[in-house]
Amino acid sequence: MTTMRLVFVGGGISYRALFNWIHPAMYVPTMLLGPIFQILFFVYLGRYNGLQSDSFFVVGNAVQMSGMAGVFASTMSIANERQFGTLAPLLATPAARLPIFVGRMLPVAANGLVVSAFGFCIGSLLLGFRPPLSSIPALALVVVVSVFSCTAFGFTLGSFGMRARDVFLISNLAYYVMWLFCGVNVPLSALPGWMATIGRGLPFTHGIAAARALAVGASLGSVSGQVLKELAIGSVYLIVAFGLFRAFEVEGRRRASLETY
Amino acid sequence: MKRALRLTAVGWVFHVKGLTMSGFFVVTTTFLPLVLATTASYMARAGQRQGTLLYVSLGAGVMGIWSSTLFGSGGAIQWQRWQGTLELIVAAPARFVLVILPLTLATATVGIYSLASTLIWGWLVFGVPFHLVHPFLFVLAVPAAVLGLGLLGLVLASTFVLYRYANALSNMLEFPVLFVTGLLVPVALLPGWAQPVSWVLAPTWGMNAIRQAALGGSPLDDLAMTLLLGACYLVLGSVLLENFARLARDRATLALT
Amino acid sequence: MAVVEAEGLARTYRTSTGVFRRRTLEVEAVRGVTFEIAEGELFGLLGPNGAGKTTTIKMLITLLLPTSGTARVLGYDVARQPREVRRRIGYAFGGDRGLYERLSALDNLRYFAELYGVEPREQRRRIDFVLDLVGLAGRERERVEGYSRGMRQRLHIARGLLHDPPVVFLDEPTIGVDPVGARDLRATIASLVEAGKTVLLTTHYMFEADALCDRIAVIAQGRIVAEGTPADLKRTVADLTVVEIEAFGASEHVIQRLRGVEGVASVAVEEQEQAQLIRVQAASGLELTQPLLRELDGARVGRVAVREPTLEDAYVALVTVE
Repeated sequence: MTTMRLVFVGGGISYRALFNWIHPAMYVPTMLLGPIFQILFFVYLGRYNGLQSDSFFVVGNAVQMSGMAGVFASTMSIANERQFGTLAPLLATPAARLPIFVGRMLPVAANGLVVSAFGFCIGSLLLGFRPPLSSIPALALVVVVSVFSCTAFGFTLGSFGMRARDVFLISNLAYYVMWLFCGVNVPLSALPGWMATIGRGLPFTHGIAAARALAVGASLGSVSGQVLKELAIGSVYLIVAFGLFRAFEVEGRRRASLETY
Repeated sequence: MKRALRLTAVGWVFHVKGLTMSGFFVVTTTFLPLVLATTASYMARAGQRQGTLLYVSLGAGVMGIWSSTLFGSGGAIQWQRWQGTLELIVAAPARFVLVILPLTLATATVGIYSLASTLIWGWLVFGVPFHLVHPFLFVLAVPAAVLGLGLLGLVLASTFVLYRYANALSNMLEFPVLFVTGLLVPVALLPGWAQPVSWVLAPTWGMNAIRQAALGGSPLDDLAMTLLLGACYLVLGSVLLENFARLARDRATLALT
Repeated sequence: MAVVEAEGLARTYRTSTGVFRRRTLEVEAVRGVTFEIAEGELFGLLGPNGAGKTTTIKMLITLLLPTSGTARVLGYDVARQPREVRRRIGYAFGGDRGLYERLSALDNLRYFAELYGVEPREQRRRIDFVLDLVGLAGRERERVEGYSRGMRQRLHIARGLLHDPPVVFLDEPTIGVDPVGARDLRATIASLVEAGKTVLLTTHYMFEADALCDRIAVIAQGRIVAEGTPADLKRTVADLTVVEIEAFGASEHVIQRLRGVEGVASVAVEEQEQAQLIRVQAASGLELTQPLLRELDGARVGRVAVREPTLEDAYVALVTVE
């Protein structure tokens, strides 16, 4: 009973406490308005270069947009505890760590889904993105899996926030790197081998590929391989993220670093 | 007047040094243009466009200057908030605009690292030839663009003083300006509403000046336009700063993060 | 059974400095501290800054692992059974940080009530109770970012008491609180003990320690240098008298001369606004006022008083390293 409350009630409260952009005045410009232009920009750049259809860029960027939550909100969920000096009080409580951790991931993932959905709507309204109606449920599923995967990845980065001070540097770099390596605007086949290899180990890559196929009418069965890979990648990151969280907690007690800021 | 210039110059050097030493700032503002340049270059190579990749490198580089200005100016004000020093600055006797102006100019100046690294990157990775048609005018165009962007930063900074959620604006304005000012996609190809907006933004003209200096054309009128817009921003920014500072004091938001 | 037991508790910090040539420094913050707190006791831990008080408490509340030695709270080992310990203790460190600024006090408490496993049905009641106890009732819906220092201090204490723990650790609880509020807080702390809780308190206010604590341990440079009731400690300086001299512009040289006067045990100087308050501890029975004033010749002298030693004098005597 307490576990459920810790996950949902606790997770919700800590999200409000730590997510820097929670106020609508921050949220709307940062997570919704800015990314509109990201989609517009890449679609127009694609048109200018006479490349793939608009759909290619809309799908790629609409999925990637959720990374603003998945990468940055995740980092904030952990790293901001240091800023407020609440990491020590948090870890001094007897609460089990896994529910705390999962509780923090849920709002972030929900946030990512909202952003992605918004991106797809913009693509539809402004750029005429029209996937076949029958594909939409499958598309939604792929987006959910991708968002989960990115959130887990984000929390892996965020766990370093328990140890390192400038973790936002890492998350910024990771966010930009994902733009390039995950096939958001350039298909993996056009990238040098090493980039594509790294990309295949990152979230989004498989999800975006699957979503693109679905958007032009492929069946869920035909992309199931990609979807499962995305799910697997997310699961691995989840385990690593939690492992790091616990490891750094123990290390923090040993090295007396829980309160350094 | 002399004191104003001196304060500006001293402040500018101070902030350039400070920003250069912030690893976080330099890395994040240089990294984005590199990624953008790489993405756009791959797209250009794959597409049917015939133009040179130098166009892409320059566009991404100027994007870097904008990024640096945007995050530098917004970030600086926000950083002052978090440290609790925004109030101190406002309470200081020097005119507020003379405190903020060197900062925004410095952030634009530090953007030159982005421009340089993007050009070098383009040359290293994509073999982009760094051949300038009008090298002398290029050397004039770059500082002019920096000045124009730095002064646009001043206008932005004034809103950041009033608006405690300034970070939201910084986050939001990166791509819109990239899009609307035609740094990588010519303004002529943008939706109709974007064109008038692009005319009042200094980066549009600054980019044209730099581009024409590098790739051929006559950059002088674009250069002049950049500087003219810059002067307008200076006046606008000064007025806004004084008023917004007063409003912030009225609403007691200077101390809030 | 003692509620809190520390045995040879020690903690060394390893820090590195320098970018190019990294040097590792080892700081022994706590060098083997042993004490026991019985049930229902209000135990005071006194010491100058850097003595190891905070490090000791952090080990007891499981935030730091000891480098050697052991500690047990209610029988549970702090290093190996941290969760058991955490369930049964509350702590308040105070200060400006350590609270979620963006949230209201109520939300802060709700969150920690969740983390401390307070039953959902109980939460509202406990929250109201602790808010009332620390004097924040009625202001709990305001965001913490607007709280004054004193209010934050009280919120820290409220948080520490949410789950009604049997053992409470309070680090300088009345610092930053106005005198009237501080008096109320002291009464609250006393009431905790009356209700059967065991409290460990650190403070710099000697009168507070004297008034509240059943027993006191004085820690200096990582070791306990004295332990006992306030009366015991005062007895260690009972054979001293204190001469307090208010001086204006006494130089270090002059202070040194004072130290040289026969019979003087120690000289401490407190810089006050316009003047210096010089406290000279000397063996009782000696009439030292004249010799001391002679040495001060040249400096302006205000008030001179001779008095019995207080707990503060005992403390100063114990922790001053000459």
